[in-house]
Amino acid sequence: MTDLHVAAGQTTGGEQVAVTGHCLPEHVNHVGGKAVGLGSLLRAGQRVPASFVVTAGAYREYRRGPAQELTQELRAAIAGAYAALCELDGTEVPVAVRSSATVEDSAEASWAGQFQTFLGVSGTEEVLAKVEECWAAALDPHVGAYRAGHQLGDDDGGVAVIVQELVDARAAGVIFTQHPETGDRSIVVIESSHGLGEAVVGGEVVPDLFEINKITRQQHRSRLGTKHTEYRLAGGGRGVRARPVDPARQQAWSVSEPELMALTDMAAALEAKLGRGLDVEWAIGAAPSTHGTEALFALQVRPITVDPRRRSQRPQPPAAGRGQDAIGHILGRLAGREPGTGAG
Amino acid sequence: MDQGRRSFRNPFDIETPPGAEGWESMYPAYLLFGEELRERDEQKLWFFDQMHNPEPLYPFDLMMPESWLVSLNQYTTRVWNLPTALGIEHRIVNGYLYLSPNVIDDPAAMAEREPIFAQRARHYFENWDEIYANWVAKATDCIERLKAIRFEPLPDREPLDTVLRARGTTTAFDLLARYSRYLENMHEMAYYHFEMLNLAYGAYLTFLEFCRSHFPAITDDLVARMVAGIDVILYRPDAELRRLAVRAVELGVGAALTSGAAPDAATAELGTTEAGREWLAELEEVKDPWFYYTTGSGYCHAKRAWIDDLRPPFAALADYVRRVERGEDLVRSLDKLRAERDRIADGYRGLLDGDDVTGFDDLLALSRQVFPFVENHNFYVEHWHHSIFFNKARELGAVLVAAGLLEQDDDIYFLHRYEVYQVLYEAEARWALGVPTRSEYTWREEVARRRQIYAAFEKWNPPPALGVPPEKVTEPITVTLFGINTDTIQRWLAAEAEGSPDGRLLGLAASPGVAEGVARVVHQVEELDQLEDGEILVCPLTAPSWSIVFARIGAAVSDGGGIMSHAAIVSREYGLPAVVATGVGTRVLRTGDRLRVDGGTGVVTVLERAAAPAGEAARA
Repeated sequence: MTDLHVAAGQTTGGEQVAVTGHCLPEHVNHVGGKAVGLGSLLRAGQRVPASFVVTAGAYREYRRGPAQELTQELRAAIAGAYAALCELDGTEVPVAVRSSATVEDSAEASWAGQFQTFLGVSGTEEVLAKVEECWAAALDPHVGAYRAGHQLGDDDGGVAVIVQELVDARAAGVIFTQHPETGDRSIVVIESSHGLGEAVVGGEVVPDLFEINKITRQQHRSRLGTKHTEYRLAGGGRGVRARPVDPARQQAWSVSEPELMALTDMAAALEAKLGRGLDVEWAIGAAPSTHGTEALFALQVRPITVDPRRRSQRPQPPAAGRGQDAIGHILGRLAGREPGTGAG
Repeated sequence: MDQGRRSFRNPFDIETPPGAEGWESMYPAYLLFGEELRERDEQKLWFFDQMHNPEPLYPFDLMMPESWLVSLNQYTTRVWNLPTALGIEHRIVNGYLYLSPNVIDDPAAMAEREPIFAQRARHYFENWDEIYANWVAKATDCIERLKAIRFEPLPDREPLDTVLRARGTTTAFDLLARYSRYLENMHEMAYYHFEMLNLAYGAYLTFLEFCRSHFPAITDDLVARMVAGIDVILYRPDAELRRLAVRAVELGVGAALTSGAAPDAATAELGTTEAGREWLAELEEVKDPWFYYTTGSGYCHAKRAWIDDLRPPFAALADYVRRVERGEDLVRSLDKLRAERDRIADGYRGLLDGDDVTGFDDLLALSRQVFPFVENHNFYVEHWHHSIFFNKARELGAVLVAAGLLEQDDDIYFLHRYEVYQVLYEAEARWALGVPTRSEYTWREEVARRRQIYAAFEKWNPPPALGVPPEKVTEPITVTLFGINTDTIQRWLAAEAEGSPDGRLLGLAASPGVAEGVARVVHQVEELDQLEDGEILVCPLTAPSWSIVFARIGAAVSDGGGIMSHAAIVSREYGLPAVVATGVGTRVLRTGDRLRVDGGTGVVTVLERAAAPAGEAARA
C-alpha cells in the first residue's frame, strides 16, 4: 500500500506534484498555505485525509503556456498521484480538490471562500478537469478585486491545488483553540454540525456550539444549533448532496461527549506543537485511508483571524507585576480602583 | 443611558402584614425607616441580607447585626480608612434586615484616606501569619471566657458564704454583672470577626478579578479551587463524622446508626454493648469543639448546633455508614485535593506570558496565605462562639422562668438585649421584695404579643431589594462580603419586573454541571428529612451543616449566596451543579416542579410546573 504521508524525500521547489507531508512553512510559495497547514497537521501527529499537492510551479507553467491547458507531463504526474490514492481501497476514490493559494491563510487576511473547492470528484479525468477549474477561478476578476482591497500584489506566486480523499463526514466543523471573541486562552470553542463541514464553514446552518475549558475539560457552555441541512457524499462518489436533517436529529447533538474530548485533545495537542490561537477544520467519518472505519480527521489549520476592532474593545488586563507588588495591587483594588482602568 | 435603570419598591410604601401591627416597638427606632430621613433613604438601595439573616430577626438575635454594625463598619470607616467606603446602614422592614452601602466619591476625601489605608492594611498583609496566629489565640481565649460565664437561678436564700466572707454584694448582683460581661464578650468577638476579614476577601477578590480579566470565562468555582485551603478547620466537623462512620463499621456497630432510630434511642442501644460504648466514648471526645456546628448561618438562635440537636449529625452518620458498608472510601485524600488544586493553577499559569505569570503567582500565593482565615474564622466565630452565645441566652431565659417573669426559656429571644437588663433588674427587685409584682404579668404578655407578630413576619416574603439602585455597585464590602454587584441588582430587577415569564431563573454559576429533577423547596434544616434521593434542593441559603444532604441531592439552588457561599463550596466538593443568588427561587419555584439546573451558566429552567397547592392558584 502506498502511504503518501510518509513517502521519503523532500520538497525541492521544482516538482509539479508534491507530497503533502513534506510541505514545510518555507515552501508556502510553492505549495500554498493550505498545504503547509496540512503538512503541519501531519507532523503534529494528527490524522489528515490522504492527499497530494499540484504545485504553484505547475500553475505558473500552465499560466505561461500559450493555450493555458495542462501539459501531457503534468497530466501524467497528477494521474499517477491520483492512482496512488486509489490504491488505498482499489476503487476510484472520491476526492476534494481545493485551491491552496500562496497568499491565502495568513493571520492578517483570511481569504476563506475566495478560491475554489470541489467535493466528491471521482476518476482521473474529473480530477484533471477540477484542477484546471481551480486555476481558471484564480484568474477570475473578483479575486483580483480582493487582492487590491488588501493591498496584495497582482501575482504573489500563484495557486497550488490540493487533491485529498474525501471524508464522508457524519459530523464536521471548526475548532477555535482559544475564544475568538474574548481571546480567552482557557477556552476551546467547537462548532459542529451533521455531515460535511461545508455547511458550517459556509454559514448555511447554525452549528452546535461548545465551549470547553482546556484545563478542567469541563463544558463551560453549549448551545444546540438548528442543523436543518447536511451535506453527504452522493451515491457513486460523484459530488455531494445537500439533504434535509429530520427534526429528531436537528434536536440531537451532532457529536458525543467522547468525541468532544477527542476534539479538545486535538486542540491542545496542536497548540502544543504549532503555538496558540489556531482555527482548525475537522471531520469525523469514514475514508478510504481508514478502510471505512470512522475516525477523526484534521482538515485544515490556520491562525485565528481576530477582528482588530473586537480586540480593542476587550478590557485590558491590569498590568500586574509592573512596579507594583501583590499587596500594592490588592490595596489599589480595595482603594476603589476598578480593574483595568490603569489608575496607579 | 437611563433606559436600564429601574427602581425597587419604595421602602416607605411597604405594608405591614396582617397580624404584625405594632411590630416597630420590637426594635430600636434607629433601625427603622423614619420621616426624618425619608428624602435620603428612599433614594438609596436597600438589599435584603438573605445571606446572614434569611429569617425575621428575633429582638435578642439583633445582637448579631448590631455587633457587626459597629465592628465591621468601624474597621471600614475608622480603622482601615477604606478610601471609597463608609459604613453599611441597617434598616428593619417587617422583621427582615435590609442593608445599604455608602460610598465615598469625593476625590479629595479619597486621596486623603488612601495613604492612611495603605499604611495600615499593608501592615496586616506583611505580618499576616503572625497576626493570624495571634488571632487564633485571641478568639480561643474569648470563647473560653464565654464558656466560663454561668447563669444560675437566684436561690431562695443568699448562700451563707456571702455572709461568712463578708462579700457585701449578692448573687443577684452577680447575675447582672455576668450579663454585662456576656454582652461585652459578644462585642469583643465581633471585632475579631472583622479584624482580618475585609482584607482577606480583598486579596481574594483581586486575584479573582485578575483571573477574570485574562480568562473571561473562568468561573468563581475554579478560582476558589485554586485558592481554597486543603486542611481546613471549617470542614473538620464533617471530616470527624466520616471518621466516626468508619470507626462504627470497624467496631461492628453501624446497624445502630442506620436503623432510623432517633439519636437518643440509637445512643441507648449503643450503650448496651462493649463496642458500642467504645464508639460512644469516641463520639464524646469529638463533640467539643467539633459539634459546636450550627445548622444555620450562626446569626439565629433557632438554628441549633449539633451539640444541642444530634439529629443532623446522626442523619449524616447513617448515610456515611451505609457508604462505608458499600465500600466507598469516605476519607478525603488531602494529597489528591492538593494535586487537583495545583493542576488547575498550573494550567492557567501556563496560558499566561511574561509579567502576567509573576502577577498571577504573587496574587495566588497571597490569596492562599490569607484564605485559611476566611474559611476558619467561620468555625471559630459563627459556629463555635455563636452557638455557645445563644445557648447561654437560653440558660439566662431559664433563670427568668425560675424567677417567674417568663413562661419558657426561649421567651428571652423575643426581648432586645437591652430590654433584658430591665427584666433582670425587675427579677432582682421581685427577689428583693419577696411579694408579687406586675413583672410576672407584663413581660409574659409582651412576649406573647411578639410571638404573634413574629408568626405574621414569617408569612411575608421580603423582596430582595428596596429603593433606588446606584448605576454601579462598587462598594468593596458589599461586593466581597455580601456577593452583591451590579449584575445581581440587574437580575433582581428583571425577576421583579417579569416574574420569570419564560420559566427561567438566573443566578450565579456556582458549581458546574447540569442536572434535571424534581424540586424540593426547603426553608429550614429540620425539613431536610423530607428530601428524596435525587431531588433538587431549593433553599434560601445553605450552611455547611446542610452538607449532610448533599450526598443525596441532584443539584442545589439557593436564593442567597455570593462568591464564596457555603452552598457553592459544598456543591463543588460533592461535584453537584449549583446555582446561587437567584434572589427569588424559594418564592417562584414550588416543590414538585421539574427543573433543569445548569451550574455552569447559572440558569434554572422550569421544565414542568407542579400543580399549585390549594389557595395558591388565585395568587399565581
